[in-house]
Amino acid sequence: MSNELIATGGFVALFALMLVRVPIGIAMGLVGIGGFGAVVGMGPALNLLSQSPISTITDFNLTLIPFFVLMGVLATNSGMSSELFRAGRAWLGGFRGGLGLASVGACAGFAAICGSSVATAATMTKVAYPEMKSAGYPDDVSTGIIAAGGTLGILIPPSVVLAVYGFITEQDIGVLFVAGIVPGILAVLLYMLTVRVWYASKLPEGEVFHLGAAVRSLRGVWAVGLLFVAVILSIYFGIVTATEAAAAGAFLTALIGLARGRLNASSLLDSLVEALRTSVAIYVVLIGATLFGYFLAITQVPQELTQFLIDLGVGKYGTLLLIMAMFLIMGCFLDAMAMIILMVPIVFPVITELGFDPIWFGVIIVMTVELGLITPPVGMNVFVINSIAARVSLPTIFRGVLPFVAIDVVRLILLIAFPGIVLFLPSGMQ
Amino acid sequence: MTPDRNGAGGALKTVHIIERIAGVMLGLVTVLIVISAIGRYGFARPVPDAFDLSRLVLGVAIAWGLASLGFHGTHIKVDLLAHALPAAARRAINALAWAVLLGFTILLTWKIWERLVSAFYGGDATMDLRLPHWPFILGIWLGLVAALITTALRLWLITARGQDLGEYDGIDEQLEQDLRLK
Amino acid sequence: QDVTLRLSHWVPAGIAPASKGIEPWAKAVEDASGGSIAIQLFPAQQLGKAPDHYDMAKQGIVDMAWVNPGYTAGRFPIYALTEVPFMVDDSVQGAKAIHEWYLENGAEAEMSDVKVCFIHPHAPGALHSKEAITSPDQIKGKNIRPAHATMARFVSLLGGGPVQVPAPEVREALSRGTAEAVTFPWGAMYDFKLTGEVPQHLDMPFYMSAQVLVMNLASYDKLSDENKAVIDSHCTPEWSAKVAQGWHDDDMAARDKLIADGEQTLNEPSEADVAAWREASQPLIDEWKESVVAKGGDADAILDAYVKSLEANDAKY
Ligand code: NA
Ligand code: NA
Repeated sequence: MSNELIATGGFVALFALMLVRVPIGIAMGLVGIGGFGAVVGMGPALNLLSQSPISTITDFNLTLIPFFVLMGVLATNSGMSSELFRAGRAWLGGFRGGLGLASVGACAGFAAICGSSVATAATMTKVAYPEMKSAGYPDDVSTGIIAAGGTLGILIPPSVVLAVYGFITEQDIGVLFVAGIVPGILAVLLYMLTVRVWYASKLPEGEVFHLGAAVRSLRGVWAVGLLFVAVILSIYFGIVTATEAAAAGAFLTALIGLARGRLNASSLLDSLVEALRTSVAIYVVLIGATLFGYFLAITQVPQELTQFLIDLGVGKYGTLLLIMAMFLIMGCFLDAMAMIILMVPIVFPVITELGFDPIWFGVIIVMTVELGLITPPVGMNVFVINSIAARVSLPTIFRGVLPFVAIDVVRLILLIAFPGIVLFLPSGMQ
Repeated sequence: MTPDRNGAGGALKTVHIIERIAGVMLGLVTVLIVISAIGRYGFARPVPDAFDLSRLVLGVAIAWGLASLGFHGTHIKVDLLAHALPAAARRAINALAWAVLLGFTILLTWKIWERLVSAFYGGDATMDLRLPHWPFILGIWLGLVAALITTALRLWLITARGQDLGEYDGIDEQLEQDLRLK
Repeated sequence: QDVTLRLSHWVPAGIAPASKGIEPWAKAVEDASGGSIAIQLFPAQQLGKAPDHYDMAKQGIVDMAWVNPGYTAGRFPIYALTEVPFMVDDSVQGAKAIHEWYLENGAEAEMSDVKVCFIHPHAPGALHSKEAITSPDQIKGKNIRPAHATMARFVSLLGGGPVQVPAPEVREALSRGTAEAVTFPWGAMYDFKLTGEVPQHLDMPFYMSAQVLVMNLASYDKLSDENKAVIDSHCTPEWSAKVAQGWHDDDMAARDKLIADGEQTLNEPSEADVAAWREASQPLIDEWKESVVAKGGDADAILDAYVKSLEANDAKY
């Protein structure tokens, strides 16, 4: 059997296993072992299991993932997400659709201390959806806003997905985080614009604005601001490494929570358990994707694919569009993290070969997989919202999120046309 | 989630304890890295072996976390087809998926046992203090054994008790109450 | 073409050890076999992490692997003698000397489950720092990124702090002050763009790190007799010297470039400094002896043989 055939068979088997609910990481791992075995022999392939999974779970460079997850969980459990929403409501609630604007703002604020999009969407559903519901927002609009706002979790730093991208491509994770800031702010502005322009007629009048209440609401969010500034500035100015910043961020979040009486020993322990569960789920995908990656490497199909894409002769941007289209299509079915781990090692050599900036591409590709989180049929953000607010059907949420998908595409085009929007801030780092 | 609904109260308690121990390990690693950073930048005195210890202890915590995921069913997976199927077919799919997971866990446990033996005789050690690696790999292996048991238990709950995979905390009941209060 | 051998290593394909060491060797094997052997190269950890490479060859995951024994502390106690500083001053003849010595004194005890093909050191590396360092007492209180486990012990012994960061992150660690100095080959100054961070260089054969190319035993046994002969004739101490030459030349060119650069300072230690460094490294030899004796080896005889082999090849510092 030729290597191309084995690789194709591997992808078919992978999608078949995933379709019948085999955990994505396990499916990738099994197909990886099986495919490696088909090329090299089953004995050596099984021996991969003695080496690779242990290397993955004991890799120091990956330890920042559980820390950033923990920081987000601690922030949620100490009530920071509600405070963000209250502050957003106090300042933006006066506009028509103000609660929607407040939700986008709270999502952005929460994204600044949480590295995961699904977690951002889940948290904000619990905080913002009931408020919008009782204010008379249609379900499609309120859940659509949260699903889209949730995607900010992996764009605004810290970001687990950007960290994994940096790990795979050996790019500085701190630089990647800083590169996500301006595109993140741009996303917030465009989402708010969408709420104001597209949905305004479907939304109720704003509430009465009280300057005093607005100022008072800021007392609740100082902790989030302090944490974000501390973590990002210490990375930006190179005071500590990204891993140390992540650990310190989680540690400080716990300290603030304890000092304010929002956390106690029991809820601290619960937070650790919750963060561990989420992290282990990510590690399983990493373990499987690494094994699958070894399988693809031994078939040498990625190299051939690289050559094929370059030989196509569709030009620098033509190839980029092809790659993004591939990510968008896969994003309809695959988890964001799984897609990054699976596809970035394959397309990254093409990107560098074509002369694109690897930091810029990291932000572009994260924004592309973000879209996958909110597009049907598989959109993790939509699913998690549906699992929490089960009375709102999936088609309703997908309908509500549609205008945000459109504005996301606009944002992608902007950043491809003007890479400086991504790159000027990190260029100020040492 | 109540023990009776699960039909495996004792197991639930055990998984609960396992998770808490693993969670505490995650907390310890966080503190270790913070102390190491303070020592390094503040006093030019890094904690010996902070690098190796933090990654090895986290590895043990992750392995024990597998036991939690195998039991609760909260692995990252594609639920698209399962949601579209009637209950009986969904149960068959769940059973198949968890049997595959169990198979993978068995392979992993076997192969990491070989790694444990090799590390025990091979003498692998940490960089600074030359602490042997094998106790950490033993910790990882024990976590896998625990995952083997909890995954098998969940498979039994699916086939014998017809339980589904994945547990979420819905807010609908709370939400209705909130709305009624307004 | 009869057989394809898969060779895995962990450095990018473009840099000297790969392009001027591993690749020419693989080409030479292919040519000598008259096209009967093809060697497929997998660079940059494509098939596994750097510290796993020995086991990957041992377990047949790949046919050949380029291994840094220094990445797995405690695993190859005899080989660790090559990591003890101030022993070797010429990496080309040194490669031959180490190869001859190790086959006689260590390979059977600790690498018996693979076939050792060649030893591949870089030119003796230097200590590169922000501020000039010429004597061992200047290490105290400094954070230093060591090349391997033995260097980490040396830094600790001298009262410094060893900072473990992967090679690609060294630049970041230096620019942020996490580390103030690094032990690295000369070529790494340009490969990792470090001249702006550490412009002071201690110009003495400070340390060495020698990679080993090993082959899976079953992969070797499966070869035809003709192909076995080809492999055997390319797994010799002479080939070790030949393979080491390319990396050596690249390192020396980098050193010349540093000398020519007005911004860079090479500090030559005085004779008293050299004696002080040697004296300070003595505990490393004692620790090495302990670890070998603990595994049942005759440490004194092995050390003696190492020194003799280096002297015979004119590579002793
Ligand atoms: Na974030
Ligand atoms: Na999608």
